[in-house]
Amino acid sequence: MNLSLALQIQNVSPDVNLLLILPELIVCTAGVIVMMVDAFARPRQRWMTGGLALVGLVAAMAASFWMWSGWAGPREAFHGMIVLDELRLGFTFIALLVSALTVLVSMVWVEGENLPAGEFHSLLLFATSGMMLMASGGDLVIIFLGLEILSIATYVMAGFRRTDLRSNESSLKYFILGSFSSAFLLYGIALVYGATATRTGLAGTTNIAEIANRLDVSLYPPLLFAGAAMMLVGFGFKIATAPFHVWTPDVYEGAPTPVTAFMAAGPKAAGFASFLRVFVFGFPFVATVASVQGQIHAAWLGALVVLAIITMTIGNVGAIVQNNVKRMLAYSSIAHAGYALVGFVAAGATGDPVFKSEALSSVAFYMLTYAVMNLGAFAVVTLIARSGDRRTDFEDYNGIGFQSPGLAFTLSLFMLSLLGLPLTAGFMGKIMVFRAALNAGYYSLVVIAVLNTAISAYYYLRLIIVMFFRERTTSWSAPRVPASVIVVLIITVLGVFYLGLFPNRVLDAFKTRPPAVMATR
Amino acid sequence: MYVHLSWYLALSAILFTVGVVGVIIKRNIISMFMCIELMLNAVNLTFVAFSSSFRDVTGQLFVFIVMTVAAAEAAVGLGIIIAIFRNRESLDVDEANILRL
Repeated sequence: MNLSLALQIQNVSPDVNLLLILPELIVCTAGVIVMMVDAFARPRQRWMTGGLALVGLVAAMAASFWMWSGWAGPREAFHGMIVLDELRLGFTFIALLVSALTVLVSMVWVEGENLPAGEFHSLLLFATSGMMLMASGGDLVIIFLGLEILSIATYVMAGFRRTDLRSNESSLKYFILGSFSSAFLLYGIALVYGATATRTGLAGTTNIAEIANRLDVSLYPPLLFAGAAMMLVGFGFKIATAPFHVWTPDVYEGAPTPVTAFMAAGPKAAGFASFLRVFVFGFPFVATVASVQGQIHAAWLGALVVLAIITMTIGNVGAIVQNNVKRMLAYSSIAHAGYALVGFVAAGATGDPVFKSEALSSVAFYMLTYAVMNLGAFAVVTLIARSGDRRTDFEDYNGIGFQSPGLAFTLSLFMLSLLGLPLTAGFMGKIMVFRAALNAGYYSLVVIAVLNTAISAYYYLRLIIVMFFRERTTSWSAPRVPASVIVVLIITVLGVFYLGLFPNRVLDAFKTRPPAVMATR
Repeated sequence: MYVHLSWYLALSAILFTVGVVGVIIKRNIISMFMCIELMLNAVNLTFVAFSSSFRDVTGQLFVFIVMTVAAAEAAVGLGIIIAIFRNRESLDVDEANILRL
């Protein structure tokens, strides 16, 4: 007892490596600075907060690029709580990109709506740091903390238009169902912590890599199954998979449009990052089916296949009957989570590191393409909705194609990309995910996904038809397009073509590099 | 007095279930919110029970983090509830029906 205690005390060196969490630190600091500037600035100077937020996000992006290309230090720190791999860097990049584009979309909007700009931007930065922690956490503690930092900030952002009942309701529903699902996730974590105690007398663990090692020597295998199932439900709520998706349309419709843009792209990607890390790395593939690890792997993989099918189908069928564009995009985001789950299944189904890294990078790439086209689409929807989000029905889009051709054409491009037309990012994202699933042998899943894509043509094309071929009955004055939103539209349009035509560079960056290659770099 | 681990786990499972059922059937926002807190505290009990049975502090550390998060969540949640009460003067979720469910 005394000897083991002494050994334990020796082991407790903090293992601090601040450079490994540099992007997160930059974003947090920027959030605090924005908050302080907002507190001390005169009302006329509040616009600065958006600029400061952008500076912070760009600096964090530079730091993560540096980690991507020139990192030679250890690949984990804080006793495995933070890990550095391409999965983390890819999703960190997505989080920063989504956040920067949201800042640009909301800069002028937040002034026009008379909302407190500084609070909005600092909350956005804190939410971003939460998303980044979700991607970088190698321990369930960090993933839970990141998730809560993200969620609590997002609850407030959803209800940011305080006097608007729709915004209140959206925030309330998001809050109740969000914390409900967090409790499920947490219970799952607690059960896994208990179940990973070993027969040899080791205490339980929350470290994901360590969990994988202990599956076969677990003290309480049934608790392991229960814990994994609870975590599956918790993550399922967060990324809005089908039986747990009911909150999505309401929350997305009621929240202010720039916040919806952020919620549909950012938290979903972050949810996928930690969902992937916990299940693909924590309960990994194993060749021996009869072992506990084999059984638990087969169980979650089977559950995910079913979830993917239901999610795609419900998302697409639900989107068909919508008359509100934001609601339609909400169902479309459910459907896209389903397509990304196809890649997730592929990543989980194989033990081969090359295939696994290809499948993982395909999911990250899919979330990147979805983020780009989704933010572009919501930027246009924000402009058309005007102050107070009054014009979000399909009728409000009647015949605007020839009156505001610029907006209508960019929105059409994003719709075609969401549909997955060749040459666009959406097509390439789907191809990568489906190819990964085919490599893993999930032919029928891919067939169902392709059929679903065909269904989705109906509602994406419907918006284009409404814009270009319907007569406008009410008067239409073209919205003024602020310079910052023009920047967003340029970035997203270029992004849609770049990812659709030259995806290789990004895909290679998202792939896990084998250690040998790292050494020679 | 020695109480076996399984009793603690059973108690926390029951508390968690009570919380889940409460969130589903309660129609008042404050009650739903309290049921969510009950779920979180059921989880805390699980952590502490495992932690003391393993003689390992990880679980207790987790409880501290959960308590902090629950406090932050309570602050934000009550803020949201006050905002909705000011606009509607009712805390019945069935009246929160502007957005179709």
